[in-house]
Amino acid sequence: MKYVILIHSNPDPWGHPTSQFTAEGRDVPAEQHEQMDRDFDALLAEISASGEFIIAEALADPASSTIHSWSPQGSTATDGPYAEAKEQLAGFFLIETATRERAEQIAAQFAGPGSTVELRPAMWSGAEDQ
Amino acid sequence: MTPAGTRELEQLWRESTPRVLAALVRRYGDFDSAEDALQEALLAASRQWPAAGVPDNPAGWLLTVASRRLIDQWRTDSARTERERLLAHQTPADELVSSPVENLAVDTDDSLSLLLLCCHPALPRPAQVALTLRAVGGLSTRQIAHAFLVPEPTMAQRISRAKARLRQAGARFPLPPAHELPGRVAAVTQVLYLIFTEGHTSTAGTGLLDVSVSSEAIRLTRRLHRQLPGDCEITGLLALMLLTDARRAARIDAGGALVPLAEQDRGRWDQAQLAEGIALVEAALPSGPVGPYQLQAAIAAVHAEAADAEQTDWAQIEALYRMLARLDPGPMVTLNHAVALAMVAGPAAGLAMLEPLLADPRLRHNHRLAAVRAHLLETDGAPEEARRAYTAAARLATSIPEQHYLHARALALRTPAAEPDPARRT
Repeated sequence: MKYVILIHSNPDPWGHPTSQFTAEGRDVPAEQHEQMDRDFDALLAEISASGEFIIAEALADPASSTIHSWSPQGSTATDGPYAEAKEQLAGFFLIETATRERAEQIAAQFAGPGSTVELRPAMWSGAEDQ
Repeated sequence: MTPAGTRELEQLWRESTPRVLAALVRRYGDFDSAEDALQEALLAASRQWPAAGVPDNPAGWLLTVASRRLIDQWRTDSARTERERLLAHQTPADELVSSPVENLAVDTDDSLSLLLLCCHPALPRPAQVALTLRAVGGLSTRQIAHAFLVPEPTMAQRISRAKARLRQAGARFPLPPAHELPGRVAAVTQVLYLIFTEGHTSTAGTGLLDVSVSSEAIRLTRRLHRQLPGDCEITGLLALMLLTDARRAARIDAGGALVPLAEQDRGRWDQAQLAEGIALVEAALPSGPVGPYQLQAAIAAVHAEAADAEQTDWAQIEALYRMLARLDPGPMVTLNHAVALAMVAGPAAGLAMLEPLLADPRLRHNHRLAAVRAHLLETDGAPEEARRAYTAAARLATSIPEQHYLHARALALRTPAAEPDPARRT
């Protein structure tokens, strides 16, 4: 099964890793940041070696986005960020795991100061046989 | 040299792949570079054979070309070890390159060793799947990536990491000792079944990428069955795959919608494949220890033998699920057992069997429980509860055709008097 891990965060100024740029992250001592970085590197190494990691992207400042909206008259483009979103999408990881439990276990380790992590299954076009 | 079509060519080199690879590994020892060299030889074949024709001994040709690549690599590799240098030095090149074709006679142990190596316990499941398809199935990295909807570089990395991991783990090519063999073979059957169920099959197009991974799983299982005909679970697995695959054409209608078993046009089931599956499971069941694959195949065979859905022998299916629940208990088995029980003893009995599953955390994100409950509630004359359960199932479904199907069932149960669907309230 494929899952996306969505990282929602509002770093200010916008930057990656987001935990360095959020208010909550600034309150964390440097040694703890270093430890978190090491843990995260180990996690990435682990899921790369196991083949569970597929792809990841860190996203640019939402201010740099363009919003395209559709209407019967045609589409219109406005400058971002997308106003309705309270927390912005800061990045995503696509993983493939044998079980949902394993995906949860991985996603839990993505939580960082000032960011919320969402795990969502990806849809597929096939179907299981009954 | 004879001309041949692309399909035939592909068939040919995929048949040759495990034999040539096994011969290379046996001769030169290093699985990793042998596998790379064979991939290069296959690439050369794909360029040369369509124009120049197929050599009289395709496997021998591949072995010769791959051997040359291996030796070239040794010669140019600045990081080669002393041992390799000595070996290449002491052995006349002709001797290394010549391909004693007689060594290529189908060696059962070699080809089985290769399969066991690819499904080595040191490897995570996705790596076992990828390596098996490439090293034993002879598929290209690109084809495997396409079948599992993963970018090609990701799949390439998965395969090279798997090979590195095998080396680190000190995985050995010769067959494992007899006491380890049953466990290792069981891992192979799990990998083959996963390939069968999870590979993405493109039904449109006839391009080179559109390999059916399900058919590939059947081909590999068939070969394993030929090698170990006495292993009843391998026989059961092959039967299960054939019986399931035989229904493929009837599972999706012209509009791409999912057709449940009871509503499938049985005229579109592949009768030859069903007959083969039934014969296999009938031969396996009385001859050895009964395992989960044999029981699941037996259940599929009972469905196959019914002329239409009404004539299904549900009593027999229920009895088989009872055996399966004893042998291999789990929430999914209980779920299917409840369906069979409902057909024999009525929907209320099925719903009662589902009751404990509602609190099972393993099914919290699985749509099947809600879907089965919905179906039983509908049969039990509780349309409103059924509609809610269908809606809940649709929300959890991650398969697009299944989600469409569940939404359609929920919609069909909406009466004008019914409350608006809470999902649509904004």
